[in-house]
Amino acid sequence: MSAQPSVEDLSRVEKRNLFASGHRACGGCGQALAARLVADAAGENTIACVATGCLEIFSSPYPDPSWRIPFLHSLFENCSAVASGVEAAYKALNKGPVNIIAMGGDGSTADIGFQSISGMFERGHDILYVCYDNEAYMNTGVQRSSFTPLGARTTTTPTGNTTRKKHLPLIAADHNLPYVATATVDDFRDLQRKVKTALSIRGPKYIQVLAPCPLGWGHPGDLTVHICRLAKDTGLFPVYEIIDGKIANVVKVPVKKPVEDYLKLQGRFKHLFKKGAPADLVARIQDIAHQNIARFNI
Amino acid sequence: MTAKLPLGLALDLAKVVPYKTGSWRTMKPLYMMQTPPCTHSCPINNDIRGFLRVLADQQDYEAAWHLLCKTNPLPATTGRVCPHPCEEGCNRRDFDSPLAINASERAVGDYGLERRLDHKKEVLTPRKEKIAVVGSGPAGLSCAFHLAKRGFRVKIFEKDREPGGMMRWGIPAYRLPKEVLTREIDAILRLGIDLEVNVKVGVNLPMDQLLHEYDAVFLGLGAQVGSSMGIPGEDAKNVYTGVGFLKQVNGGRKVDVGRTVVVVGGGNTAMDCARVAKRLGADVSIVYRRTRVEMPAITAEIDEAMEERIMFRYHTNPVKIITDDDRVVGLLCVQMELKEADASGRARPVPIPGSESVLPADTVIMATGQEVDYEGLELARRESKWISTSEFLLTSLPKVFAGGDAVLGLETVSAAIGQGRRAAESIEDYLEGHEESSLGQPPVVYAKDLNRFYYQARRRFTKEAIPVHERLKSFSEIYPAYDPGEIAAEASRCFSCGMCFSCGNCLMYCPDNAVRVSPATGRYEFDYDFCKGCGLCARECPCHYIALTLEK
Repeated sequence: MSAQPSVEDLSRVEKRNLFASGHRACGGCGQALAARLVADAAGENTIACVATGCLEIFSSPYPDPSWRIPFLHSLFENCSAVASGVEAAYKALNKGPVNIIAMGGDGSTADIGFQSISGMFERGHDILYVCYDNEAYMNTGVQRSSFTPLGARTTTTPTGNTTRKKHLPLIAADHNLPYVATATVDDFRDLQRKVKTALSIRGPKYIQVLAPCPLGWGHPGDLTVHICRLAKDTGLFPVYEIIDGKIANVVKVPVKKPVEDYLKLQGRFKHLFKKGAPADLVARIQDIAHQNIARFNI
Repeated sequence: MTAKLPLGLALDLAKVVPYKTGSWRTMKPLYMMQTPPCTHSCPINNDIRGFLRVLADQQDYEAAWHLLCKTNPLPATTGRVCPHPCEEGCNRRDFDSPLAINASERAVGDYGLERRLDHKKEVLTPRKEKIAVVGSGPAGLSCAFHLAKRGFRVKIFEKDREPGGMMRWGIPAYRLPKEVLTREIDAILRLGIDLEVNVKVGVNLPMDQLLHEYDAVFLGLGAQVGSSMGIPGEDAKNVYTGVGFLKQVNGGRKVDVGRTVVVVGGGNTAMDCARVAKRLGADVSIVYRRTRVEMPAITAEIDEAMEERIMFRYHTNPVKIITDDDRVVGLLCVQMELKEADASGRARPVPIPGSESVLPADTVIMATGQEVDYEGLELARRESKWISTSEFLLTSLPKVFAGGDAVLGLETVSAAIGQGRRAAESIEDYLEGHEESSLGQPPVVYAKDLNRFYYQARRRFTKEAIPVHERLKSFSEIYPAYDPGEIAAEASRCFSCGMCFSCGNCLMYCPDNAVRVSPATGRYEFDYDFCKGCGLCARECPCHYIALTLEK
């Protein structure tokens, strides 16, 4: 990349519609919103390598894809490897510079594609990996992934998930990445600034975007942004950057909200508030929020 | 020979026809301007949101003045004397504190006077119809103003030597400097309105002659006569009615009130009389038969009167004025107790037998009510006191309309201006033979409709009054001029309820890119070919400018 972008460049909101209308996502889809914000922030000089998943399905049916930038579909497990190949090809052909963004859902990132993303980080390719975190395998019908939070109901955990969410940003950072960040779709300025910042840095980068799934989470489509905000305000989804291994720019929440505010809006947590629900489960989720708050000094 | 096929399938993006997801929609978002609560609670229906936005975005006081004067010809006046129900309605009320709309209005009004701005006519071709306006108070001026702007020929008849009505003779100069009023009326008259003073319709000029010469008549008579209490001793010297006293002082006459003044009543006139008497050097007490809660006066004025150390005697009712050689020496009062509410909704005072006492007084002012001066006019009346009108403000006489205090009962300057405006619309409809259209206003936006996440709490502008000991020395205005920059900053606190302020939320949050900026108007518009109706835009719109409706 060229010289360091200025602060104004980084904080400018971009609307280019490089991820265009006509895709088949559900109304209020957090991932569709996130994909457009990321594509618009990256700009025209970008190649998107997208793993199998909702995003790939709803955005690329022949003959009317939504992408207005080059798009490459790969499998769940090899998206990072394909992106690495694209980067290597550009290097070999002595072309570029170009922004290469690998994208996937949380299942292809943290479970199936974990070996290839770890390899990509380790080999040091100049690629930004964006993970759209909707906390389960939504495309195939809401199955549990390693990002599914404690207590959430999926079709494979009908009585609620019993394990905690994997914390991938910290794992990624431990690959000695120059830049790791988390973001949510409600703060589009923050998300676009992080994408632009990441693209201005050479080497592998990782951004995890919380992208609610109205269908899988069981909330009305109009609440997508509101729920993201609650995830931040309760401390369940800390928003921060890790620059050269150090946690920085944590989004502070002066007044924290109880996790019930967040949980009660979603169908996947409905069983927690029914009669006969395990009494301590909500308290354990609140504990996770407290741990996040303490760990990241939210 | 086989043709060399490309490695992959190349799609020409220019030829891609996107799939129209708009057909999935069951709910349909609409950009819809809604009524803000400030305008809804304003008796004149001023475009408060509009003028504040112009101030906040462009600091353009001239444009703000023109916007405000679309409905209100007297912004510098109402900016001083209006009890601002708009601020009661403001949706910031339970967020931090309501906007200082009244102060902003005064700043805009003062700017118009300083620059001597001229009102714009809405209809430039003069019309042949002539309209007579009787009375140059707020109702008459407002009616004349709106008719003149619509191209009619208007003449005002005023019984006193100067125009302004109760604004001139009833409101003391420390609240409304005469200079401000005069200049504001001059600006109205510059629209080409004729004014004839010292003519009392019904006395110097018969009503029949007016009806003969003019196509329509508006009566803005006001309630100019102070009613007396009907107790013994009222004819004594140094007993005044509230309006009579104020008119003498405001007319520049020297009034010797002596050392002790007792004002009877709890309305705005009583407060004005008490504060005027205080400035004339007397010790003043107000006698009221109920308590502060039931006082009809504006709260701010009661507060200011208390600041100026005016004594309030509640539960006290005068029985007799005690005179000595035709001069007042005291007021015999009885204590009252409050019983169950009467027809007006206020507690009913009942005298306590044997509780009489005497208040010494050099002057007694009876500010206990006002009436319409019907001399020479034959009009149907409501409750034998106020003029009865139809909902279009048409009186019992053909082509005669009426408005203001004479119709409403004792009300505010703003209410009278609002009625003048309504009457002007009715008169235009009447002259053009329209049935009045009953176009409803769009729904009102309340605090629950807003997404207040996007607003930040900010300190309200506070006006600084001159200290009490300074203000009692003269009749000069107690609130000095405000800083234009501070007012513009205050205006930027406006939530803009029900009107887009281009925050960009709908544009950025739509997962389907179904919001775009219209090339023609520069405003946002929906692309219904792709909108799936998820409602995210409506939910995240801070000001409730987007309504979600059922798709047909």
